[in-house]
Amino acid sequence: MIVVCRLDDVPDGGAIGALPNARGRDTLVLLRRGDQVLGYVNNCPHYDRAPLGWRKDEFLNGDGTRIMCAAHGALFRIEDGVCEVGPCLGQALTAVALTIRDGHVCLADGSALLS
Amino acid sequence: MRIIGPDELIFGVDNIQACRDFLKDYGLIETAPDCFEALDRTAIILRETGDASLPPPLPTATRLRETVWGVEDQATLEAISGELSRDREVRTEASGRLSTVDDAGFRIAFQVTRRIKLDLAAERINSPGASPGRAANEIGANEDAEARPRTLSHIVYFVPDMDRMANFYIQRLGFVITDKFTNTGPFLRPQANDDHHVLFMIQTPDYMQGLEHLAFHMQGPTELMLAGSRMVKKGYQSFWGPGRHKFGSNWFWYFNSPMGTHVEYDADMDKHDGDWVMRETPMSKEAAQMFLFENVAKWAPGGPPPGKG
Ligand SMILES: [Fe+2]
Repeated sequence: MIVVCRLDDVPDGGAIGALPNARGRDTLVLLRRGDQVLGYVNNCPHYDRAPLGWRKDEFLNGDGTRIMCAAHGALFRIEDGVCEVGPCLGQALTAVALTIRDGHVCLADGSALLS
Repeated sequence: MRIIGPDELIFGVDNIQACRDFLKDYGLIETAPDCFEALDRTAIILRETGDASLPPPLPTATRLRETVWGVEDQATLEAISGELSRDREVRTEASGRLSTVDDAGFRIAFQVTRRIKLDLAAERINSPGASPGRAANEIGANEDAEARPRTLSHIVYFVPDMDRMANFYIQRLGFVITDKFTNTGPFLRPQANDDHHVLFMIQTPDYMQGLEHLAFHMQGPTELMLAGSRMVKKGYQSFWGPGRHKFGSNWFWYFNSPMGTHVEYDADMDKHDGDWVMRETPMSKEAAQMFLFENVAKWAPGGPPPGKG
């Protein structure tokens, strides 16, 4: 089981990038709502090499209600990653299953390892 | 039609503080509230999404509300007004700026340019066989260089019908095609600018219509690398580059931005005149760039192997 970070590292209502690859690019976006943490692969479905944020840990639109792709402005629902407007309309972010154990965010067993 | 190039890009955003931070860190100078200028005064303008002064948004994800083109003189404005009034409403604002819409539905405006003439040095290099670019004892690697964007270079739109869109700029506004990616789109140059392109477009489904990227010219490749490295150091997300394009020959480095568009540094673009014969090739990885690098953390070789020192 892979520990991603501490639960407290993810601000409630906010988002952070996690699991940097060898080039230092965060491969995972974590979003916390209370005790629930959702994870998505940090890549817009529009291109194969399109990280979502514009700055370290900056992934949300102005009022924090959607994930925004800082490449072309696509907006994704936080709860299921579905794109509501933008170049990847009708597609969705790839969800990564997580579990919380002892105050830590972990990749759920069987979650694909990210490269 | 003596059109020079994009003078101002006006955005309506819901995250204005993040956009301000980005544009300042990118190197533009805030000369009036939410007006961020390059050295020649070409500018990015930020407004809140609901600002009543903004033209209506497109129904897509783009935050670009208006592209303002700079022209040489009042006579050009009158010629544009006469031409476009034939089949669409052209409003003349109190400032004298013309406001209308292009054939893809983008809001466009025209004004006597806000650009000031720059008188600045190019990047200077030493090259065997050529006379020295720098005097003796003059240092080339200056980490403290300001590296400010000099001028708004070009914009790239996603458009649902590239031929219709290109024909509007060619037939109605006098742009010429310098080069073309088959089935993707043409690179366009207006009559009062010799840069390889100020406008490029990419054919997409209609729900993608919007601004793909904007770019400012830097002094040269060294300042491009310096400015881009500073962005990376501040935590900004590099998207593509640094590298060098084939068409246009410009060095490039693209970043994601909170305006929901890519923002590019470019440097050393080709210049053309009426003698140029356009090239055409299918868009591909090979065609898009001569070479591509990726920024990595600083490192240096040297010294004894670990544990032997
Ligand atoms: Fe570009």
